[in-house]
Amino acid sequence: MESLHPRVRLLWVLSTIIQASVLGVIAYLVDRFAVSLPQWAIVVGWVVLVFLGVAHAIAAHRIWRFDLQDDALFLLRGVVTRTDTSVPYVRVQHVDTTRGPVERAIGLASVVVYTAGTRGADITIPGLRPERATELREQLRDLAKESEATDAV
Amino acid sequence: MNRLHPRSAVLRVARAALQGGFFGFFGGSLGTGMFGLPAFAVPLLGLLGALTFSGYALARYLRFRYELDGDTLTVESGVFARQSRQIPLGRVQNLDVEQNILNRLLGLAIVRFETAGGSATEATLDAVDEAEVKRLRNYVRTHDRDEAAETQTATADAVSETATSGHPAHADRPGVTGPTPTHTGDAQTPGDFGDSASTPDTVERDQPDGSLLFAFDQRELLTYALVSVRPAAPVLTLASLPLGMDIVWSVLRFNAGLVGASLGGPVIRWLLGSPETTRLVVFAALSVVQFLLLALVVSVALTVIEYYGFQLTQADGDLRYERGLLRRYSGNIPLEKVQTVTIRENVLMRQFGYATLAVETAGYSGGSQQSTQGVAVPLAPREEVYELARDIEPFGDLDFDRSPKRARRRYLARFSLAAAGLTTVAYALDSLVLETGYWWLVALLFLTVVPAAHLRWRHRGYDLSEDVLATRSGFWRRTTRIVPYYRLQTVFVTRSPFQRRRDLATVGADTASSSSLLGGVARVYDIDEDTATELRDALRERLTAHVSGLRTNDRAGDADA
Repeated sequence: MESLHPRVRLLWVLSTIIQASVLGVIAYLVDRFAVSLPQWAIVVGWVVLVFLGVAHAIAAHRIWRFDLQDDALFLLRGVVTRTDTSVPYVRVQHVDTTRGPVERAIGLASVVVYTAGTRGADITIPGLRPERATELREQLRDLAKESEATDAV
Repeated sequence: MNRLHPRSAVLRVARAALQGGFFGFFGGSLGTGMFGLPAFAVPLLGLLGALTFSGYALARYLRFRYELDGDTLTVESGVFARQSRQIPLGRVQNLDVEQNILNRLLGLAIVRFETAGGSATEATLDAVDEAEVKRLRNYVRTHDRDEAAETQTATADAVSETATSGHPAHADRPGVTGPTPTHTGDAQTPGDFGDSASTPDTVERDQPDGSLLFAFDQRELLTYALVSVRPAAPVLTLASLPLGMDIVWSVLRFNAGLVGASLGGPVIRWLLGSPETTRLVVFAALSVVQFLLLALVVSVALTVIEYYGFQLTQADGDLRYERGLLRRYSGNIPLEKVQTVTIRENVLMRQFGYATLAVETAGYSGGSQQSTQGVAVPLAPREEVYELARDIEPFGDLDFDRSPKRARRRYLARFSLAAAGLTTVAYALDSLVLETGYWWLVALLFLTVVPAAHLRWRHRGYDLSEDVLATRSGFWRRTTRIVPYYRLQTVFVTRSPFQRRRDLATVGADTASSSSLLGGVARVYDIDEDTATELRDALRERLTAHVSGLRTNDRAGDADA
C-alpha cells in the first residue's frame, strides 16, 4: 500500500484557504452592499473553515492509500465515510495525469483513471510526485492493455 | 448518401417560417413603437424573418445526409460548422423510434441511435418515412445477426462451408453467454448489404416480426395503471400551469364553504385567522382526499397514454417494444448489450403477485426518457417476469441473504432520530406560531418506527449466485437487481461512522448501465464488515474469471475461423 506525498496536505490546506477566502469576500460584499454582517463573524467563520480544512487534510492524508494489486487498482479513502474502491484493470478505459495551478505551484500531480461505470466513472489519485504520476500512468496503461477486455460495455 | 424525408423538410420549413415571421413581426412592432420606424416595416420585417428562418431550415435539411454502409452509419450535418460522424453499428446500444401525432398523420417517424459514449443521443434522424424505419431497423438487426451467426458457426466448428469467410468475427461480443437466438430465416447467407435500399432484395430480407413475448389487453393496461400509481408530482405540475392556481383556490374555497366556514375574504385569510379546529381538520381531510383522487386519475390517464398498445417481441437476439397512444414509441434493444436486469414490485403489485421487468443498457445518457426507459414488461405475474428475466440473463434460483440483525437496530435508531427531529420541529412550530396544541400528533410517528425498521431490514438482501450478483432493497417499491459478473465495472465498500460503530459496511457494484432512476450501482446494504470484504474479493475474482472465460471462447472462435 502506498501513501500520498506528505505535501498533499499543503495542497488541500491551500485549496481550503482559497475557498474560504472566496466565501469571505462574498460575505464582505454582502455586508457592504446588502445586509450588514458583524465583522467578527466573517473573521471567525474564515478561521473555523481553515481550521476544519487543516484537520481534514491531516486525517485524509493519514487514511489515503492506494495499491496496484494483481487484478485491480485498490484505493482506500474518506475521513467521515470510509470507502475502498477496486478498479479492475480490465475496466480501465483510459488514464490521465493532470496538474492544476496549485498543484504545479507546489510540485505535485494527479492521476485520473476512467471506467465506463456510472458512479465513480473517474477516479483521482491526488498528491503524487510528477515522476511517480507519469510512472503510475504508464503502469496502469500496461496493466490495462495486458488484460484487454472483450467489450468494455 | 440519403436525405431525410421531403415531407419532414416541408414541416420544418413551415415551422421555421412561422417562428421567423412572428419574430420579425414582433421586432417590427417594437421598432415602430420605440424608434419610429414606418408602419410598412412591420409586415416587411415579418416577411424577412420568415424567409431567413425558413431558408436556414431548408439549408439544414439539405446539408443533413446519412448513409448505412457496411457496418457503419455515417451522418453529415451542419450549415456553417459542418460535422461528419461515423458510428460503428456493432456499438449501437439501442435504436428508438418516436412518432408524435403530426408525424403519424404524415407517415413519418424520428429515429434515434444510442451508443454508450457521449452525453446525448448520438444520431437523430428527424424524420424519415415508415418504410425507411423498417429498413434501418432490419439493417441494424441483420448486421448484428450476421455477426452473431458467424461467431456461432465458428465456435460450433461445424458448418463452416456455408459461411463465407470474408467477414472476420468481431472480438467485441460476449455472444456465447446470451440466450441463443431462435433463427427463423436461416436460408439467408451473410453477404454485403451495400445498396439494399432500392433493390427488391429488401422485401425478401424483411424479417418477420419475431415471437410475441408480451402484450397488454385493455384490462391489464388498466390494472397496471392502477397498481403503478405514481407520486402526485403531475398534479403539482398541473397546478403550476396558468389558471392552475386559480382553480386550486376556488376548490379550496368551495371546501371551506362546505365545512361551514364564514368566508369574509380569500381562503388564506380564513386559514390564518385560526379557525375552529374541528372545521380545520375536516377541511384538511377533504382537501387531501380530493388531492389523492386527482393524483390517481392523472396518474392512471398518463400511464394509459404512455403504455397503450404495449407489446414486446423478440426477434433474433433483439428485444423490440412498441407503446403509446398519442406519441408512438418503439425501439430495439440488442440482448447482448443488456447490462443489468431489474425487477420491481411495489406493495400493491406484491399483494397480487405482479412485477415489473426493466432491462438497462449503456445507451441513454441524456436521460430524457428517464420515466420509462428500459421497461421491458410493465406488469406481469411474478413467475412470468422471472422466466423472461432468465431468458435475457440466465441465472438460477435466488436465495437472498439478509443483513445481520444489528442492521435492524441501526434502522431503528435512524428512524427514531428522524421522528424525534420532526416532533421537535412540530412542537417548536406549534408553540411559536400556530398554537393549536396538537403538536403531539406528530409524535405518533414513533409508533411506526419499529415496523418501518423491521420492514426495511426484511426487504434488503443479496445473493452471490453462480453467474450473477442479485441485490434487493425497498419496501414500498422493492427493487431486485440482477448483475452478471462480466458486467461489473468497479467494486467499492463504504462505511459511514454509524456503520463503523456496528461493524457494518455497504458494498456497491457499479455497472455501465445508464438508468438515471436507479443509477448503475447495485448495492448490498449493511452487511458484516468481514462479509463485505469477502464479497468484494469474490466479485473481483469472478469478474476476472468470467471476462477471461469470454475471451478464451472468442479466441477459440477466431482460431477456428
